[in-house]
Amino acid sequence: MNSDNVISVFQFIFLLFLQAFLLNNINLFGFINPNLYLLFIVIFRLNDNSTLLIFLGFLMGLLLDLLTQGSGGHTIASLTIAFLRPYIIKFSFGVNYEIPMGMVQGTLYSQRLLYLILVIFVHHLVLFSIIYFSFDNIITIIKNTLFTSFFTFILIYISLGLFKEKK
Amino acid sequence: MRQLINAILKYKNILIYLGLLILSFVFLHQRSLYHHSIFSNASLILSSKFNLIGENFTKYIDLTEQNEKLLAENKKLKVLELIQFGEHSNKSKVLDSFGFEVSTARIIKNSYSNARNYLLIDKGYKDGMEVETGVISSDGVIGVINQVTSNFSSVLSILHRDLKINAGFKKNGAYGTLYWLGNHPKIMKLDDVSTLNTVAVGDTIVTGGMSDYFPYGIPIGTVINYKKPEREGYYDIKVKLFSNLTQKEFVYIVKNKKNDQLKQLKFE
Repeated sequence: MNSDNVISVFQFIFLLFLQAFLLNNINLFGFINPNLYLLFIVIFRLNDNSTLLIFLGFLMGLLLDLLTQGSGGHTIASLTIAFLRPYIIKFSFGVNYEIPMGMVQGTLYSQRLLYLILVIFVHHLVLFSIIYFSFDNIITIIKNTLFTSFFTFILIYISLGLFKEKK
Repeated sequence: MRQLINAILKYKNILIYLGLLILSFVFLHQRSLYHHSIFSNASLILSSKFNLIGENFTKYIDLTEQNEKLLAENKKLKVLELIQFGEHSNKSKVLDSFGFEVSTARIIKNSYSNARNYLLIDKGYKDGMEVETGVISSDGVIGVINQVTSNFSSVLSILHRDLKINAGFKKNGAYGTLYWLGNHPKIMKLDDVSTLNTVAVGDTIVTGGMSDYFPYGIPIGTVINYKKPEREGYYDIKVKLFSNLTQKEFVYIVKNKKNDQLKQLKFE
């Protein structure tokens, strides 16, 4: 239990710095920066302590915005997704969601995929809506959401494989 | 009490989420100029809509009284216009060549009790309003437009501590900077008038021609008290306004038609 906490803290710091100093400077095709820090919210293990996750999500977004001179879009988006995570888990795995990490054996592959896609898509939708904040830019918002979601999904999927091997 | 605590515990996630969300919107508002302007524009639209509803209601109630006031104001304006035309026939030629365009508007909200006061008027960019346009009334200066939506504009009142306008003496043209001290809505201060000029109590203060917002010669007020420094320097002059900004209803917007040329010259 204790060592799990330590691992969580290291994950938090590692993903935060990786995102702020490496991934936010990728600019693939000019505008795609995959948001790998979502991995922290995806695999956060304490399902019953959702309050803590809300605080951590807020903190993650806030620190990321401060480190990257962002306007505040990451704060609102990761706060929102941390708040919505229990509902998304309920929706994708059914009512019996006694599943730590959301990625453990016994769940269907399609359910895990649905969970992952929902988290990533909702997060990016909120993020770009806040950043552009105008109905005139709705095409840009949707375009950015789809492309960035796709690349974030690939990255998170690969990273999940890495984490599973270690366990 | 216990039920209340239980309810709070039950919804604590939602409450925490909403609290942090508000916090992050404040953060967003502080950090990003774009979001800041969107929020302030939305609040301007909202407040002007509500104020218009209230103002329309009260306007309908005392319509006759307002009509009488308006007539009196028009009469006063006419007299002033004639006086000015007679006295400054050579100056008014300059004014004509500058080309100021006058239109009218109605005040729908007026504040005068804060340190920084604003007014809302019922004309927006649909009616040709622009930012940095002067606003005057029948007997004095009101302020400068600082924000415009499609149907409304907000005006920085001269009772705003950060607004400084160019003003001078009617008798000899000595000019200085006029600004509000922040306490009495009829008393303002005129600074930067050199002690080389003579000043007397009762002198009339008018707008100076050096401002882009106002044409030369709109009467503002009279000198009620002045202090001369012991050595050379600048006078410390208190000015009493002609107009009473706490009971205004109609204003005139003075648009400088050739402002773009002036600006171009200044930036070059």
